[in-house]
Amino acid sequence: MNSPFPSRTAGPFGRRLKRERGARLPVMVITGFLGSGKTTLIKRFLGTAEGQGTAVVINEFGTTGVDDLLVRPSADETILLGNGCLCCITRSDLQQTLRRMLFEHERGELPDFRRVVIETSGLADPSPILLTFATDRALGDMFHVEALVTVVDAVTGSDTLAWSAEARKQAILADRLIITKTDIAGEGAISALTERLHVLNPNAELLEAVNGEIDPSRLSQPAPQHRNVFLAEAEHSDDIGSFVLTEERPLPWPVFARTMDTLMQLRGPDLLRVKGFLNVKDCNGPVLVQFVQHLAHPPVELEDWPDESRQSRLVFITRNVSERQVRELLAAIRNVA
Amino acid sequence: MSVAMSPLNKTAEPVSWNFKLLAQDDLGGFGGMGEGMSLQIAKDGRRVIWLAHESAPKNFTAVDVSDPRKPKVLVQTDLPKPYMRSNSLELSGDIMAVAYQTQKVGQQPAGLELFDVSIPEKPRSIAFFDCSGPHSRGVHQLWFCDGEYVHMASGAADFEPSHPLDDQFYRCIDVRNPSKPVEAGRWWMPGTRKGETPLPRHRLDKGYRAHNTNVYKQRKDRLYLCYIDGGMFIMDIADKSKPKPVSHWTNSPPYTGFMHTAVPLFDRGLLIVTDESTENNAEDWPKLVWIVDARDESNLVSIATCPLPPVDAYARRGGRFGAHNIHENPPVPTAWQSDQIVIGTFFNGGLRAYDISNPYQPKEVATFVPPPPKGTPAGAVQLNDVFVDERGIVYTVDRHTGGLYTLEMDF
Repeated sequence: MNSPFPSRTAGPFGRRLKRERGARLPVMVITGFLGSGKTTLIKRFLGTAEGQGTAVVINEFGTTGVDDLLVRPSADETILLGNGCLCCITRSDLQQTLRRMLFEHERGELPDFRRVVIETSGLADPSPILLTFATDRALGDMFHVEALVTVVDAVTGSDTLAWSAEARKQAILADRLIITKTDIAGEGAISALTERLHVLNPNAELLEAVNGEIDPSRLSQPAPQHRNVFLAEAEHSDDIGSFVLTEERPLPWPVFARTMDTLMQLRGPDLLRVKGFLNVKDCNGPVLVQFVQHLAHPPVELEDWPDESRQSRLVFITRNVSERQVRELLAAIRNVA
Repeated sequence: MSVAMSPLNKTAEPVSWNFKLLAQDDLGGFGGMGEGMSLQIAKDGRRVIWLAHESAPKNFTAVDVSDPRKPKVLVQTDLPKPYMRSNSLELSGDIMAVAYQTQKVGQQPAGLELFDVSIPEKPRSIAFFDCSGPHSRGVHQLWFCDGEYVHMASGAADFEPSHPLDDQFYRCIDVRNPSKPVEAGRWWMPGTRKGETPLPRHRLDKGYRAHNTNVYKQRKDRLYLCYIDGGMFIMDIADKSKPKPVSHWTNSPPYTGFMHTAVPLFDRGLLIVTDESTENNAEDWPKLVWIVDARDESNLVSIATCPLPPVDAYARRGGRFGAHNIHENPPVPTAWQSDQIVIGTFFNGGLRAYDISNPYQPKEVATFVPPPPKGTPAGAVQLNDVFVDERGIVYTVDRHTGGLYTLEMDF
C-alpha cells in the first residue's frame, strides 16, 4: 500500500476498477448432481448469442467412477464447438488445463474465448475449485469466478438434498441456484424445493429453467450482491450456515484485515466462503473482498458505489462460526486499534 | 456433449480480449497509416480525427468519429511529390501542423506546414516552414499541443551531419504567429554534426536522430526527447534558445537501438519509454516498452518492461513484431489521460494495454490482434499508432492497408 510511485487516480489497492473482475476472464462454475440438467443448460447457453466465445471445461478430476477406469489416461483434448466456443474435457488437473488454455490463447493457437464455463462432475464439492482460483497465482491473476451456479432438479432435488451432504454443500455455496425440470415436476415438489433451497441458501439468486431454457444474460452476468436486502441467518445444515455481516460506519482497513487474519488462523478450514464489499476508510468506492478457507483474494476497489448506500456487507458461509463470534472479534480489534 | 469437431487452427488466431472492436475503415483503400493521430472537436460539435499516412500518395485524412461505430472520411489530401511522406501531424485547436520528409536529402518540399482546419472539409494552408537542405530530409516527427511551439525532429539547410543517418535533430519552432513560423532553438546530440567526434555505430545502425519530442504543460521547461540509437534525453528548455540536457538514458547496447517515445507520468515520477521494432520477422527482438523510475530526473533507472507474448508465436506471422507507439497523454482536452494504463501498438503483436498500477510488475489487461487486413503486403496486421480520446474510445491504425480501427476498452 506504500508505493514509491503514488498516483492521485489510484487507491490503496491499486487501480480502481469498473467492475469486480477487472480485466480477468469471467468464470462460471456449474455444479449439480448427475442428471440435474447441467449439460442441457450449458448446451442451450452455448447456442445463444450471449454464449458466443465460451470455453467449456468439463472437469472430471476427482471422480473415480467406473467410466474413468475404462478411459485410458490421455492428454486433455480441446475441441472446437460451433458458435466460436471451445470444449476441453480434462481428466487431469484443472489448473494445468486452464493454464494451458491461457498459454495457447496468448500464442494465438486457440480461437479467442471470452468466458470459461467449468462443468463439474456430479458429486464434486465446489470448494476445491474455488480454492484453485484463490491459490494459483497465475489463475487468480487471469480468471475470476463470477458465479458459482448449482443446478437442482425439481423432480428429485428435494430427495437428493435430504440424503446427500455434497448436494447440500453445492446448494449452500452457490451464488445462483437454478431449478430444472419444472415442466415435469408437480407444483408441490417445486414449491417444497424452492422453500428448502431458500432456507439452505437465502443469499443465492433462485431461477427456474424449463428444458434448459433460461434467459442467457441471467446466466452470464455476475451474481448479484443482494445489497440492502435483509437476510435472516440460514438454517444450519451439516453445521454449515450463513450469515450477513453489515456495518454502517467506514472500516479502517487494518482493523478488517486483522480480524480476517485472526479468523483465518483460528478457523480457516471453517470459513467456506466469505464474500462482499466494504466501505473502507479513505477509499472512494467499495472494496470487494473474498476469502476461501485460509486464503484471501487480493482486495479490489471499484471506481464508484452503485447507489446511495455506503453500508459494508459481507456474506459468511461457515462451519460452526457464528455471526456473534465474528462481530465480537471485529469489535475487540476495533477497540484496541 | 455432442460437438462439431474440427481441427483447430494452430497459428495466428485473432485475439480480442477486453478491447471491443467498434468499426474498421480502410479509408478508401488508402489505409497505410503513419504515426500522427490527433482529435479535434469542430465548431459544429463534430468529433474529427486527423490521421497521418505512412507514405505517399496521401498526405492526411480526416475522419468524422462522432459515432465511433460509423467512421466517415471527411477529407483526404494528396502529397505534391511521390518521394514525400507526411508521417506525423498534431492539432492544437483548429491549427494543424504536418511534418514533411523526403526520401533523399536535398529533395523539396521538406519541412513543416501549418493548416487552418476550422472547416474540416477544407483544410487551408497557413504557412510552410522550409527545412530542406543539401543534407536534410526534412521533418520526420513533430509535437504541437500548446498552440505556440512546434517541437520536431528535423534536418536543416545549415546542418551537415557527421553521418548521413544522423541528419534529424531537435528543433523548436515558434508559431505564435502561425503565418510566420520562426526557429526558437535547436539541439543535436554531440557527435552528430560534422566536425565533431563521431559516435560509435550500433549493430543495426539506425542513426543518431531525434524522434519524439514531447513537451507537457505540467513541465513546460522539460523536453522528453528520444534519439533513436542515442537513447533518450530529458532536456531543460526553460530557455528555448538554449536547450540543455538534464539526463540521458539508453538501453543500447546490448539492445538494438531505435528509442522512440518517452512519456512522463508526472505525479508518479515515472517515464514510459518505447523502442521501435524496424526489422521484419522479429530480427531486432526484443523491442520493448520500458518503465523507468524518474523520481530523480537526473538519475533514470529502468525498473520493468511490459510483457510481450512469446516471440516464436509472432516472429513469422509477417512484418514486424515489437513495440512502437503508445498513447502519449498529449496535454489537450480531447485526449485521455492515465497514469495507470499504458496502451501501445506492437505491429503484428497488435494493440495491448498494460496496468502499471504496480510499475514493477506491468500486467497485460487487454489485447487486440485483428486478422491481416485485406491486401496487406505484410501478411499480418501491423498496428502502428494509437490514440485514446477523453471518452476512452481507442483509435489505432495499420501501417499498410487496414486504415483505422475504433475500439472500446472493457477492463
